[in-house]
Amino acid sequence: MNRIEIQYFAVLRERAGTGRETVETAAATAAELYDELATRHDFGLPRGMLRVAVNDEFADWSRPLAAGDRVVFIPPVAGG
Amino acid sequence: MQAFSFSSAPLEPGRYHAGIEDPAAGGYASFEGWVRDHNEGRTVERLEYEAFESLAVKEGERIVAEAVAKFGVTRAACVHRVGSLAIGDLAVWVGVSSAHRGEAFAACRYIIDEVKHRVPIWKKEHYTDGDSGWVNCERCAAAAHAHEHAHLHATGDFASHGHEHAAAVQHDYSRQIALPEVGRAGQAKLAAASVLVVGAGGLGVPVLQYLAAAGIGRIGIVDGDVIEASNLHRQPLYGIADVGRPKVAVAAERLHALNSDVRIETHETKATVENVDGLVKNFDLVVECTDNFRAKFLVSDAVVRALKPAVFASVHQYEGQVQVYRPLPHWPCLRCLWPEAPRDGMVGNCAEAGVLGPVPATLGALQAMQVLKRLLGLDAGEAPALVTVDLLSLETRRLIARRNPACDHDQPGEPAGVEGTSAPLELEFATLAEAFESGLELVDIRETWERMHDPPGLQIPTHLPLSALVNGYLQFPTEGRYLIVCAHGVRSLSVTEQLRAQGLAEVFSLKGGLAALRS
Ligand SMILES: [Zn+2]
Repeated sequence: MNRIEIQYFAVLRERAGTGRETVETAAATAAELYDELATRHDFGLPRGMLRVAVNDEFADWSRPLAAGDRVVFIPPVAGG
Repeated sequence: MQAFSFSSAPLEPGRYHAGIEDPAAGGYASFEGWVRDHNEGRTVERLEYEAFESLAVKEGERIVAEAVAKFGVTRAACVHRVGSLAIGDLAVWVGVSSAHRGEAFAACRYIIDEVKHRVPIWKKEHYTDGDSGWVNCERCAAAAHAHEHAHLHATGDFASHGHEHAAAVQHDYSRQIALPEVGRAGQAKLAAASVLVVGAGGLGVPVLQYLAAAGIGRIGIVDGDVIEASNLHRQPLYGIADVGRPKVAVAAERLHALNSDVRIETHETKATVENVDGLVKNFDLVVECTDNFRAKFLVSDAVVRALKPAVFASVHQYEGQVQVYRPLPHWPCLRCLWPEAPRDGMVGNCAEAGVLGPVPATLGALQAMQVLKRLLGLDAGEAPALVTVDLLSLETRRLIARRNPACDHDQPGEPAGVEGTSAPLELEFATLAEAFESGLELVDIRETWERMHDPPGLQIPTHLPLSALVNGYLQFPTEGRYLIVCAHGVRSLSVTEQLRAQGLAEVFSLKGGLAALRS
């Protein structure tokens, strides 16, 4: 189990009801982590619509996770 | 005759007279503006008028209509010269016919005063010493010697009255020139630069204000919207009296009043596949300030094609994102970051989303700052990134972004998709009753809270809230003929596109949404 710091943006923040949380997870990749959280928070947004950043750098969904990683999930926003 | 028109040939008041005759009129008042031989102590030999005719005619027609409504006169018209004029030539003619002379004089005065203040016309004076200059409106005498610049300004002084030159104040850039990184050389770079701002809303307003104030030489504004009362809390460049007027026209007026050194170009249209390349190619840099994905990706593809730098931003509730694009090989475009171009209305960016004014204002100010950094060369060594700003926690984050090898910058844009049927996606109806009579089943995809204030009798029985469709709680039927309805037609269009792609042939979006219907 890894301890991961997570931050949500925009509509994900609304659905999660929080901007950030820390989770203990067995997820090995960013994709697995998102799928786990999407089920828990009922995100309803497919992964393909989002981007993930790990430790302040955009990453592929296949990116392996390590303990202490800071993971950010970002949907595109269009308001102006 | 037309209420307002331009003429490149000499004006003929005798001919216009017939255009405003009316049996109900008891009299006629007219004003003629002539070219006089001096301005600001210099002897003028001749002058030239230039106008952005499409914009100027609309504004002129509006002024004449206002005069007719305000003073209750019978008929009114105004003709303005463009082209080269000699001393004594007629520059402008106003005529008003009315039952009573008082209203005729008042309406005539109103039209010429408003035309001078509001209609975008440039005047170039040629002096006897061989010099010439695009001159400012008479209020800003000091700028009259700024020969290199063309100014958007009100029509000149026709010697109809003495004008007070209260203070000949020039725009003063000393507080930015004082920065060692700016200096006079930096100020000259800004004055030589041209910037296109797409969208004059919550983001565009601060971008326009700070770029005009900084002395950017030429600013283009693209926006097809008129000002709505609900815009003002986040677009305080506009006032309540401007509601109903085109954003580009009001923005041009206000920015000219702020800094007449800046040449403002207005394009009263939204960015489209047809016009975007033509707009982008005439500017050094583009600032994307719209509120929809369609425009953002359109602009991104156009700047990649044209090899121009651009600054993108968008907001959602209390947070926003900023991204700078530079035409360098390793630099990501919007599509590099978001390979699946999102559809408007699908990721919580509906027209009704709430926002506090300072949120787009902060992001817009950040965009203006990125523009100045780029033009002044203060961004050396900066890696491409998406910057997120949260106005509640006051946290910012710089997320390093990379070029996506799958995104082809030689041929940017979506791969040419297979277009389905040629049936239009949108249908227009004048009233809800007409829409009901169309034989299509109306489906309201607004959220429940949006339906609470619908007047009785104007409710749409079938209700599938978009949030439930996106979350998969509700499924759209796989057959039938439907008209999808939302508040402004943005979300309904995206749902319609998606249903068409899923094979539902007879599904349409109500164009402009409920807001476009006559009650
Ligand atoms: Zn790209």
